[in-house]
Amino acid sequence: MSDHARHNTAIVTATHVSFRTDNQTLLNDISLHIDRGTITMVLGHNGAGKTLLLSALHGLITPQTGKISGPVRHKQKMVFQKPVLLRRSARDYFNYLCPGLDDATIESWFEKAQLDSRLSTPARQLSGGESQKLALIGALASQPDLLFLDEPTAHLDFESIRFIETQITDAHKSGMTIVMTSHNRAQAERLSEQIIFMENGKIVETADAKTFFSAPKTDAAKIYLNHY
Amino acid sequence: MEFLTPFKIAFSLLLAADPELMGIIRLSMLISLSAVACSLAIGLPVGALLASMKFPGRQAIIILSNTLLSMPPVVVGLIIYILVSQSGPLGWTNILYTPYAMALAQTVLVLPISIALSRQVFETLNSEYDRLFISLGISRWQRIKTLVFDARIALVTIALACFGRAISEVGAVIIVGGNIRHVSRVMTTTIALETSKGELGIAMALGIVLLSIALLVNVASQFISAHFKKAGLDV
Repeated sequence: MSDHARHNTAIVTATHVSFRTDNQTLLNDISLHIDRGTITMVLGHNGAGKTLLLSALHGLITPQTGKISGPVRHKQKMVFQKPVLLRRSARDYFNYLCPGLDDATIESWFEKAQLDSRLSTPARQLSGGESQKLALIGALASQPDLLFLDEPTAHLDFESIRFIETQITDAHKSGMTIVMTSHNRAQAERLSEQIIFMENGKIVETADAKTFFSAPKTDAAKIYLNHY
Repeated sequence: MEFLTPFKIAFSLLLAADPELMGIIRLSMLISLSAVACSLAIGLPVGALLASMKFPGRQAIIILSNTLLSMPPVVVGLIIYILVSQSGPLGWTNILYTPYAMALAQTVLVLPISIALSRQVFETLNSEYDRLFISLGISRWQRIKTLVFDARIALVTIALACFGRAISEVGAVIIVGGNIRHVSRVMTTTIALETSKGELGIAMALGIVLLSIALLVNVASQFISAHFKKAGLDV
């Protein structure tokens, strides 16, 4: 598929989405569209609403107002910042995330993630990096059209970060749409094509990555980039 | 009677595997294991349902089952007695003064325990797994299956807790079982009867067996918890 063709249709759209708790508006009148086949990075300070936005777009929370449309449930996956690990072996957990794969395919995914020695290890005994890699390959193996990644490399070692970034790049090349959050500016510059910058539950700037990092329009984005 | 005499008689009865004593132990185990199986068969799905679904009357069921936790066994015995006596609504079953009525009473007695403990375990797991379930589009039935499977170790300890409660019960089973020799005499009712007759030897022998069972249940429960906590399979 040519870059032009795949970048021209929106895979997710949100229109005037707001999400409130009793005394706080956590997502404030969010409207956006994510183009198919792109890597979009959601940036912002802690508490800006990045994770909540991903959760809303993925359907984990239901906003009080607004409309979100995206691919059907089984065509989108999300990898959480702290993976939800079931009480079973790494292999069984992978099988739960992505059922129906044969043993050889499962083992090749584990080999790719250098987790082949951990197939029978209880998933909850894996290290932070290992469990993040496991959650990622579980999501990728099911070949979703849309993948949400919530700070997938936070607190991970260099090797794990490199593996995850390689997988993201490969998935993107195969046409998958990726929406992710990160606090790592270098990573955001390396991976992203589109940037959504948030502050206090609002989108304050959207731009292509090059423009955002070289000439941010808003003061909030300028201050943010000076910090990171 | 010398203080140690009951202990001596008890050990000689146990070592000789006295047939009547063994029969009582066998019947006690059978009744209590049946009661635990029935209470888990009902209690676990109810616990899973209460933990994973919101529906009208849910809170009322929780309050009722929590109230039943503190229900005195003799009251349970009395209610079952009224239900299964000839003039009661279940009189046609003819189970009064049989092990079936005793198993029923024990089931009613431990059912609130299995519901309350399993609900607690399932609620913990459900809130932990909720994001994943939604993300993967897991159906309600798959959700319950996952909760039950992942709580398997905790459920074993719940079963042990229910068994410990059932086997040591006396008030309800003496009312509905009648403590009839070779028919409905279990360890606890025999202890009560033999003590009142001054036959402390057999009472002590059964007391030792009951204590040993309680010890075994606790050791097993501790071992299972510690072992599986290490493997990250605890809840």
